[in-house]
Amino acid sequence: MFARFSILAVVVALASGCANNSPVLGGKNIGYGDSKAVELVTNEFGSTDLQMIAESMTRSLAQSGILQGRPVVQVYDVKNKTSEYIDTREITTSIKTQLMKSGTARFASDNTQMQSQVDQLKLQNQSGLYKKNTVAKTGNMIAAKYRLEGSISSIVKRSSDYKDVFYKFSLQLIDVESGLAEWMDEKEIRKTTER
Amino acid sequence: MRIKLLAALTVALLAGCATPPPPAPGSAASKVVVMGKLKNIEVGPMRVARENGFLTVKVSLNNTSSSNKAMFYRFAWLGNDGFPVADEEGWKTLTLYGSQSSILPAIAPVTQATDFRLEVQSQ
Repeated sequence: MFARFSILAVVVALASGCANNSPVLGGKNIGYGDSKAVELVTNEFGSTDLQMIAESMTRSLAQSGILQGRPVVQVYDVKNKTSEYIDTREITTSIKTQLMKSGTARFASDNTQMQSQVDQLKLQNQSGLYKKNTVAKTGNMIAAKYRLEGSISSIVKRSSDYKDVFYKFSLQLIDVESGLAEWMDEKEIRKTTER
Repeated sequence: MRIKLLAALTVALLAGCATPPPPAPGSAASKVVVMGKLKNIEVGPMRVARENGFLTVKVSLNNTSSSNKAMFYRFAWLGNDGFPVADEEGWKTLTLYGSQSSILPAIAPVTQATDFRLEVQSQ
């Protein structure tokens, strides 16, 4: 009886010793990488380019001193003049996020958000579903003092030995009333692959 | 005479084993963190200013070799308490031509930044 109990105890002890205490489930060939690492997998537009452009443009604009008193800015989509597919909305989203975090600007509803904004105002004011004192009044939206618009273009050259891609990102801040460009900056990126 | 020689040798050996003193707080060297190695690139004097409320930094770099060198870098922006006041920056790459001296400019992302740390690494 004692021997049987001892064997059982040893088996239980061994089994609990082998228990996996790691917080990782599966994924021998999968790992999380550093999202801030320099990405050089191919020379197409990549995460590092997006991060560099957003960072460079935001800081240049914030530090320029143009955005005094947290003006309202309307952001337009960046025009993609390159030959490759680039989700340019992600560039503007990053720029908006970083400017917002820097505390230098406020943003008016842009083209994509405007329909949702109008729909919500209509719903609150016309449906009769909401308590009157909680309804957002129409005619109080803040108009933008500036609009921010940009473009990205590329020059691609290929030879038997090299592929060279040159990106140029331009961004400008325009005073809506006067139409004057008050601030402008560019970021150039060259990526070369040797075959 | 022999004792004096032995003593001199011991002092020389001990001095050789001594680790270099840590950089003085607030000095340019104290703001540089070499992640792994930084071969043939010297980080020189830094200019720190506040422009329109944002901390701006210019760091001089010097390639001490005659061949081109690529380095990776990023800044960490710190507040009065010595802790970061902004999200982690992405790593960036910079190529220095052989024997080139260059200036690396940077602007803090938020006005709360009062200090910085430069993380560097070479290939």
